[in-house]
Amino acid sequence: MPYAVRGDWILGADAALRHDNNVGNAQPRSDIVADSILGARLSFFRLFPLDESYSVTVGGDLSGESYHRLTGLNNASLDGVLMLKKKWGLGAFAPWARAGVSVARSSYDDSYRNAWIYRATLAAGRRIDERWNLWAEYAYERLAARARMEEVFGLSGDAYSQNSHNVGANLQYSLNESTFLALGLLARHGDVVSTTQPGLKIYTASLALAEDPAFGPEEYAYRITGTTYGFRVGINYSLTQHSLLGCGFERLDTHATGGNNYTRSMPEITWDYQF
Amino acid sequence: MNRFLAAVTALTLLWHALPGQGAELRAVVKDHRGKLVADAVVLATPLDPKAALRAKPPQDAVDQVDKQFVPYVKPIFAGSKVRFPNSDHIQHQVYSFSPAKKFELRLYGGTDAPPVVFDKPGVVVLGCNIHDWMVGYIYVADTPFFAKTKVAGTATIDNLPPGDYTLRVWHPSMEQAEETTARRVTLNADGPTSVAWELGLKPALRVPRISGAAAAGY
Repeated sequence: MPYAVRGDWILGADAALRHDNNVGNAQPRSDIVADSILGARLSFFRLFPLDESYSVTVGGDLSGESYHRLTGLNNASLDGVLMLKKKWGLGAFAPWARAGVSVARSSYDDSYRNAWIYRATLAAGRRIDERWNLWAEYAYERLAARARMEEVFGLSGDAYSQNSHNVGANLQYSLNESTFLALGLLARHGDVVSTTQPGLKIYTASLALAEDPAFGPEEYAYRITGTTYGFRVGINYSLTQHSLLGCGFERLDTHATGGNNYTRSMPEITWDYQF
Repeated sequence: MNRFLAAVTALTLLWHALPGQGAELRAVVKDHRGKLVADAVVLATPLDPKAALRAKPPQDAVDQVDKQFVPYVKPIFAGSKVRFPNSDHIQHQVYSFSPAKKFELRLYGGTDAPPVVFDKPGVVVLGCNIHDWMVGYIYVADTPFFAKTKVAGTATIDNLPPGDYTLRVWHPSMEQAEETTARRVTLNADGPTSVAWELGLKPALRVPRISGAAAAGY
């Protein structure tokens, strides 16, 4: 095969252990459930440089999560991605933009959250120098789950399907050759799913309602509309040229209709390997 | 016994009288903490320019292996042709913006890229447009007498024409200007001359090769 059509395989594996202090996005203290989650992923991408400016990346990943307590949330996902990237100029410091689409299928132990996830992204960024790297991304995400039986007459049982608009700004700062800091800021508007015991406050604000056996027999998932602001900070250390050890913290604050607000905090440690 | 001593003496005199017998320079480069420094280029420039006249710029090569330039630092004599073979089974796009040599080799694999002539002394920083973390250095020397320090921080230049020289050293991470390392020495064929430098080195900073899923951002 001539070199001109050869792609560049990017194969990777990563694992993460995180603690989520509010897995179900609940507001009442009595409904808040914390858990520890172990995740792993295999990724397989192929980069095709088209010319000096454009490249196409095709690939996907296979991932899974295992919950310590809420085993009904154990899940596996298969994701397919297509991205087109343009660089304005040569080299690491040239500005770039990228458009991408992805389709994923996720399957849960309790099957209620099984869904197709469609995502369209637009991103742009620039590495300022060896130390600073900046980029921003907009993503529209549609999560299509199977509608459940109506629990309440007139209120949809499609509680697990969600649409959202996401805007993120990201920054990386290299401390030295092997260590860099990462900061991400998120604004997300759209559907959120909050799992709690039945209550008038969330019921009146909800767009859909379904039982949520992963959290217990008396727990219900409510789809409501909310805006989430979040940040993620992390420090990453290259163990070798191919592997990375990270430690991070993510915080999400959601303000939903009807005063149904909640927060989540998620410290995590990560390990990445790229061949 | 007398015959044997006479033969040894004659051979020794003959050896020293051979035109190819030159001076030898042994250099050691350390940083301010005393750590031995690899990839430093040690240069010996004869004060008599005729001493370097017979040198012919050779062909050289900088390979690409596992998405890295190999070697990381390559000293060459001005006028040398350098090939950039690609030992990876993918495409690379090698470029430099350095004033000493601006060039670009369009996407290629194998040994398809034409050689590049480096005729202007100076430092040429190499990059790959596809793999942002790839960086390498070509030091284009104005003298044919140079060597690169090994992991042990040592470099040897031999077969130098005896005479007066200006010695310098350069490293990709050095804090001071290369000129500040200059020193004058007289080299002769009697035996090796040892020199040592202590350099201030900036912390190495390169684009990370792996950013990881955790750093992928929102």
